[in-house]
Amino acid sequence: MSTGLSQIGVRVVDAKTGNVPLLLTEIRHAVERLLDSGETHVIDLLALPLAPGEDKRIEQALGRGEASARVDALGPSEFQETAFAGVWLVTHFNAAGEIVGRFVEIAPVPEILQAPEADIRDGLRRLADALSGVNDAQ
Amino acid sequence: MTLLEFARGPALQWSTIILVLGLILRIAGAWLLAHDKDYSRPRVDAAWRGGLRAVFSRFWPHQPFVRQTWFHILAGYVLHVGLFVVVFLYAPHIAFIRDLTGLNWPGLPANLVLFVGALTAASLVAFFVRRLVHPVMRTISTLDDYLSNLITLAPLVTGILAYAHFGGRYETLLAIHLLSVSLLFVWIPLSKLAHVITFIPSRFQLGAWLGRRGVKA
Amino acid sequence: MRNDLSLSEVLRQQGVSRRGFLKFCAATASMLALGPGMAPVIAAALEKARRPSVIWLSFQECTGCTESLTRSHSPSVEGLIFDAISLDYHHTLQAAAGTAAEAAREAAMQANPDGYLVVVDGSIPLGNPGYSTIAGVSNVDMLREVAAGATAIVAVGTCAAFGGLPHAAPNPTGAVSVSDIIKDKPIINVPGCPPIPVVITGVLAHFLVFGQLPELDGLGRPMAFFGHNIHDRCYRRPFYEQGKFAETFDDEGARQGWCLYKLGCKGPVTYNACATAKWNQGTSFPIQSGHGCLGCSQPDFWDQGGFYHALSAGTSTSGVGLGVAAVAGAALGAASALGTRSSQHEARREVEQIVNSQPAAAGCARGGEQGKK
Repeated sequence: MSTGLSQIGVRVVDAKTGNVPLLLTEIRHAVERLLDSGETHVIDLLALPLAPGEDKRIEQALGRGEASARVDALGPSEFQETAFAGVWLVTHFNAAGEIVGRFVEIAPVPEILQAPEADIRDGLRRLADALSGVNDAQ
Repeated sequence: MTLLEFARGPALQWSTIILVLGLILRIAGAWLLAHDKDYSRPRVDAAWRGGLRAVFSRFWPHQPFVRQTWFHILAGYVLHVGLFVVVFLYAPHIAFIRDLTGLNWPGLPANLVLFVGALTAASLVAFFVRRLVHPVMRTISTLDDYLSNLITLAPLVTGILAYAHFGGRYETLLAIHLLSVSLLFVWIPLSKLAHVITFIPSRFQLGAWLGRRGVKA
Repeated sequence: MRNDLSLSEVLRQQGVSRRGFLKFCAATASMLALGPGMAPVIAAALEKARRPSVIWLSFQECTGCTESLTRSHSPSVEGLIFDAISLDYHHTLQAAAGTAAEAAREAAMQANPDGYLVVVDGSIPLGNPGYSTIAGVSNVDMLREVAAGATAIVAVGTCAAFGGLPHAAPNPTGAVSVSDIIKDKPIINVPGCPPIPVVITGVLAHFLVFGQLPELDGLGRPMAFFGHNIHDRCYRRPFYEQGKFAETFDDEGARQGWCLYKLGCKGPVTYNACATAKWNQGTSFPIQSGHGCLGCSQPDFWDQGGFYHALSAGTSTSGVGLGVAAVAGAALGAASALGTRSSQHEARREVEQIVNSQPAAAGCARGGEQGKK
C-alpha cells in the first residue's frame, strides 16, 4: 500500500496568531501618512513570525489591484498592486527562484520600479550615441 | 554554572527534598507522640467520622464570627483559592509536578492565572499591611508571620515578572522565580507555613476528639 | 578579484544593474533584520566597503556548520555577498590541497598585514593537543598564530562559541571555546547547532557592510539575530497563552499544532532567529515541524536535564529521591517522637508519684476521671 501525505494523521491548521489584523492596521496608518505627507513605508514580511498558511491569508486579505510589474535584476522581482491603491506586494527572487525578500510597500510606485537617475543618465548617453550613429549613417 | 542551571538543578533538588522530608518529619513526629488516654466512654461508634468531617467543615467560616472577621475570611479565601489556582492549574507548574510524579491534568489559560496570581499577591500585601497597622495583630505577630507572608509573596511577584518579561531577560527572571520557590520550599517545614499539610491531621485530631464526645464540629 | 574594489563595484563588474543593487540592499537589510528603512544606509555603506580577506579554521567539529553555510552558497543574494569576500583559506573545503592550502593560509596572513577576518568552527581540545591537529599543528597553536593578526574573529557554531557538544559533561577532550583562549581580539559568537545559514552570512555581511562589529549581547552574539528568544517570536505562542499544550508527540494537541512547552521546548530561554528566518529557504523550523526547541544556540545546551523535560521541571529532582526523603522524614519523625515519649513517660510517673503522695488531690483527680465517664 502506498502512503501519501494525505494518509498521515497530521494536518496543518490555521493558527490564530492575529498577525493579519495587526498588519492591516499598520498598512492603514501608512496609507494615511502617504496621503497626508507623502511619506512612503515598507514592511518586511520575512521579519514577521508567520504561522503556516498565514502568508497566503495576508495575500487574500490584500487582494489584487489593476497594476502588476516584473523586473529582472539579480533574478526576478514581482510587483503586484493590491486591491488598495498605493499598497504594493513586492517579492524578490534570486536566480534559483527562492524568495529573498518579501515586502508590503506603501507608495504611489515601488521604489525599485522607478528608473534610477544613474541608469537614466546612462540611457541618455546611449540614446545620444545611437542618434549620432543614425545621423552619421544619413 | 549559570543562575538558571543552579536554580533548576541543585536548588530545586535540595529544596524539594527538605520540603518533603521536613513536612513528613513534622507530622510523624507529632502523631507518634504519646497521647493521653481518654478514659471516657465514647458517645458515638466511630469518632473518626467526626475527624473527617472537621477536615472539610472548617473550610467554611463560623457564622457568629463572620461580621467581625469578614476581611480575614474574604482575603483568606482569595489567598488560598488563588494559591491553589496558581500552583496547581498553571501549565508550567503542572509540568513540574508531572515530571516528579507522572500525574497530569489540564490547566487554565495563562492570562487567567496571571490575573488570579495578581489578586493573590494583593491579598498577601493586604494581610501584611494589616499586621503592621492593626494594634492587636501587631501584638500577636511574630517574625515567623512576617517572613512567611513575604516568602509566600516572593514567588508570586517573581512569577508574574517572569511571565511579563519585566525587569530582565526571561532566563534571569525564571531563575529568580525558581530560587524564590526553593526558598519557600525550605521555609514551609520550618515555619507556620507547615499548615499546608498539618492542617489535615490537626483538624482530624480535634474533630475526632470532639466527635467522641458527641460534639458536631 | 582585486581586493581594493568596493562591493558595489564588484557587483557592477558582475553585470548587476542599479535596480539589482537596490534589490540586493533591500534583501540584505531583511537578512540582517535591520528593517527596510536601513536599505539606503546599506547602499551608501556598500559604495565604500572593501573586500576583506577571510581565513576559515575548522577545529573539533562535525562539519555541520560548513554544511549549513554551503547550503546558503547556492546562487542567492547572501551567496553573492559571500562571493564578494575573499575566502583565502578553508581547510575543510580545501582538504585535498594539502600543503598548498596551508601555504595559502600563510600567504593570506602575510598579504593582509592590516588585518583579516578569522572564522572558526569547532571547539579547541586542551586535554591533549593530539586530539585534533591540522597538518601536524595543534588547534590551540594554530588559533593563537592566526588570531594574532586578525581584525576580528567570528566563532561559528555552538562548539566554537561555547564549547558545544565536545564540551558536554564529562568533556573528555578538555574542549573549550574560542573566547576561552583568545582574550585580546573582538570575538563575535554565532552559535547554533548548526547556525542558520543566513545568520552566518548575515554576520559576515554586517562586518563587510559596516566595517565594524555588530551590536552584541552578553554572550557575544549579534543582537540582530539573537536579540529575541524563540518563544517571543513563535507563531505557536498564542496557544501557550491559551493554556493549550501538546502532551505527547501524537495526541490531538500535537496534531492541532499547540504549544510544545510541556514536551520540553526550550524556546523561552533560547535566543536565535529560527522563528522568523526559518530554515531551508524559509520552509520551516523545528517547532513548526512539531518538535520543541533544543536550545542549541545556548551554552551547555546538552547538559540541561534532558531535551524532553519541561523548562519548569528541575534538572536533578526525581520522584524516587523525594520518596527516599519521605521515608527518611518518617523515620526521623518516629525517632524524635520515640525519644520524646520516654521523657513523656518519665514526666507522667513523676506526676503520679506526686498525686499518690497527696491523698486529697488524688481523690480530686480520680473524681475528675469519674466525671468524664
